[in-house]
Amino acid sequence: MTTQTTILEKVKIGFRPLQPGEPDWIYRIRREAWDRYLEQPLPERVQNIWRYTAPESFLAKNIDALMNLYPVVPDGSNGKPYPVTPEYAAIGYNLDNRMTVTKMTPEISAKGVVFKDIYSALRENEGFAGRFLGKLVGASFGKFEALNLALWNTGFFLYIPDNTVIEKPILMNRHPGGQFTMGRLLVVVGRNSEATIIDDYAGECRLEDPAANSVVEIFVGDSSRVRYVNLQRLSSRCSSYITQRAQVEQNGSLYSIFGAMGSALSKVNAGTILNGKGADSRMYGVLFGDNGQHFDYHTMHHHKASESYSNIDFKVILKDKANSAYTGLIRIEKETANCEAYQENRNLLLNKGTRAESIPELEILADQVRCTHGATMGPIDPEMLFYLESRGVARVEAVKMIVGGFVEPTISQIPSDLQPVLRNLVLDKLGSEL
Amino acid sequence: MNEKKVIFAFKDIHIEVEGKEVVKGVSLEMREGEKHALMGPNGSGKSSLANALAGHPNYTITRGEAFINGKSLLEMDATERARAGLFLAFQYPLAIPGVTVANFLRSALKSKYNGDENILREFRKELNEKFQALDIDKVFATRYLNDGFSGGEKKRIEILQMAMLKPQVCLLDETDSGLDIDALRIVSKGINEFAPKDGAVLLVTHYQRMLNYVKPDKVHVMMAGQIVRSGGPELALQLEEQGYDWIEKEVMKAVEV
Repeated sequence: MTTQTTILEKVKIGFRPLQPGEPDWIYRIRREAWDRYLEQPLPERVQNIWRYTAPESFLAKNIDALMNLYPVVPDGSNGKPYPVTPEYAAIGYNLDNRMTVTKMTPEISAKGVVFKDIYSALRENEGFAGRFLGKLVGASFGKFEALNLALWNTGFFLYIPDNTVIEKPILMNRHPGGQFTMGRLLVVVGRNSEATIIDDYAGECRLEDPAANSVVEIFVGDSSRVRYVNLQRLSSRCSSYITQRAQVEQNGSLYSIFGAMGSALSKVNAGTILNGKGADSRMYGVLFGDNGQHFDYHTMHHHKASESYSNIDFKVILKDKANSAYTGLIRIEKETANCEAYQENRNLLLNKGTRAESIPELEILADQVRCTHGATMGPIDPEMLFYLESRGVARVEAVKMIVGGFVEPTISQIPSDLQPVLRNLVLDKLGSEL
Repeated sequence: MNEKKVIFAFKDIHIEVEGKEVVKGVSLEMREGEKHALMGPNGSGKSSLANALAGHPNYTITRGEAFINGKSLLEMDATERARAGLFLAFQYPLAIPGVTVANFLRSALKSKYNGDENILREFRKELNEKFQALDIDKVFATRYLNDGFSGGEKKRIEILQMAMLKPQVCLLDETDSGLDIDALRIVSKGINEFAPKDGAVLLVTHYQRMLNYVKPDKVHVMMAGQIVRSGGPELALQLEEQGYDWIEKEVMKAVEV
C-alpha cells in the first residue's frame, strides 16, 4: 500500500479530460480537488481522529478505472420499477451502475421540492446548487474528502423550499456495487420547513477497493426542523468512509441518527455546525459490531452562535473481536454566550476480545457554557443475567433483553416513527448472532 | 397433621463461595401451604442458601440434594428452576435499564410458559389489580425495572413479580429490610395475599417484625452455616427479646458436651 502512495505522490497523475456535456465549472472543481488529493499527505496517525484506523485503507487503488466512472444520468424512462411506497414522500436509488433514480409523490413535487441525481441538479442549477457544493466538505477538508470532490460518481440533491412541511420520510437507497462508489448527498432546506431523510447504505461490494467514500452536506435554514438518519448496513466485506457535515441556522434543529451495523471497516466523521442563534443539534448513535468489525466514529459539534444546544448520545455494542473507537469533539467559540453541549458514550462489551475506545475532545473558548460529557464501558453484569434467569427467562432471551435495554433509552429519544428502524437493526443483529 | 404433600425439600446442603464453605449441611422440608422463617445473624449463611438454591452462579452447592415438587432441583440451571416453580425475591434487586416493568413481566411470563401467548390475555387487567393491591403507582409500569427506584419500591416490585409469576415456592431474601412501617405492612399484606396457597414460602430475615404480619408455621435459626434450632413462631419472639446470644451459648455448650 505504501508503494502505491509513493507512486501517487511522485508521478502526478493528471486529471482526465473534460467529458462531452460536462459543464466547465464542475470540471474545474473536480480537477482542482484532484490536485488537492495528490498534494495532501496521508493523514498522520497522531490526532485522535486518525489514531485508530489506517488511512491507507481508503486510498483509491485503481485510479484509471475510477477516473472513468462518471455519474450516469437517467434517461426519460426514469425508474418505472421503483414506485414510491406509501410510507415515503420520495425514494431515491443509487444503483450499482451509478445510475440514480429519484421518485417523488405528486404532493411534494407540487410543493416545489427538488429531488434529483446530483449531476443533473448541478448542471441545471449552477447558480443555486453550485453555491452549496463542497461548502461544508470541500477539497481542503481532508485527503479523502478531496478525492470525493474530484471523482464523485453518484449521489442526490434535495431541495426543500421555505415553509414546506414534508411529513413522510425521504428514503435514499445507497447501493455501492461492483465499483468504488463515491457518492455525494447535498441537502438544502429553506426556512421554516420540515423534512426527514433516511440515508440507507446497504449491499455488497468488491474486495479490492473501498466500497464507498461518501460525502453528505446538509444546510438547515432558519427555524427548520430536519431529521437525518444514516444507516450503514453494508455487507461485512466492505469498507466505508463517510463524511457528513451539517450547518444549522437560527432556531433551526437537526436530529442526526446513526445506525452502524455493517462493513468490515467503517469510518464516519459526522458533524454539525451550530451557525445561528438558538440552533439545536442532537445526535443519536447505535453501533453494533461483531466478528472482526472495526468502527471508527467521530462526531463534532461546533457552536458558532449563542444559545445553541447540542446533545450526543452514542451507544456501542461489541461482540466477538469487534472494536470501536469513538471520538467526540465539542467546540464552543469564544464570542458565544449560553451554549449548552452534552455528550455521552456508553459501550457494552459482550465478550472478552472486544475493544472500545472513547475519547471526548472539548475545546471550550467561551465562558458562559454548560457542558458535560461521560463515557462508560463494560460487560453485561452477571448479576443482571441471574436476576432475569431467576424469573424464568432463558439465557439467550436475557442477553437480548439487556442489550435491547442498553440501547432503548437512546432509541426512545428519537422521533417515534423512526424508532422501529433502529430497534429492528439491533434485534436482527442480535437474533442472527446468539 | 403432616398429611400434606412435601412441596420443597433440601437435605444436607453444603455451599461454597470462592472456595470457602459458608453453608455446612442444612436440611429442611416444607409442606403445602406452609410458611417458614429462616432467621439468624449477619453472615450466618441464610442469603447464601437462598441464592444457591435459586441457582446463582457464584454459589456452588458442593453436597446435598434439593427437590421441588419431587423434581430434583440441583441439575437445573437458574431458568429451569424458575420454570419449575421456584422464586427468589432478591435482597438487592438489580436495575435493568431500558426494560420497563410491564415489558419485563410480559416477557418473563411468556418465557416462563415457553412462549404461550394465552398467558398474557388478562395481563393488563391483572397487572393493574396487583399494582393497586401493593399500592404501587401505575406509572411504574412504564418505568425501567428498578432503575432509580428506592429500596422500598424495589421490594414492592419484587412482591409484584411474585404475584404475577405465580411461583410455587418463594424464597424471600430479607424482603423486610429497608422498609418503613407502612411499606412493611403493605408488602406483608402482599405476601399473605399472593404467596401460593398450595405452595411454600421461606422468609429469610434478621428480625421478628415482619413475622407479626406474615405468620410463620415454623421458625429456623441459622448460625455459622448450620440450622441450629427449629421451633414454632414463639422461637422468633424469644429471639426478638433475647437476641441470638443465648442460642449461640447453648450451641457452644452442646458442642463441648
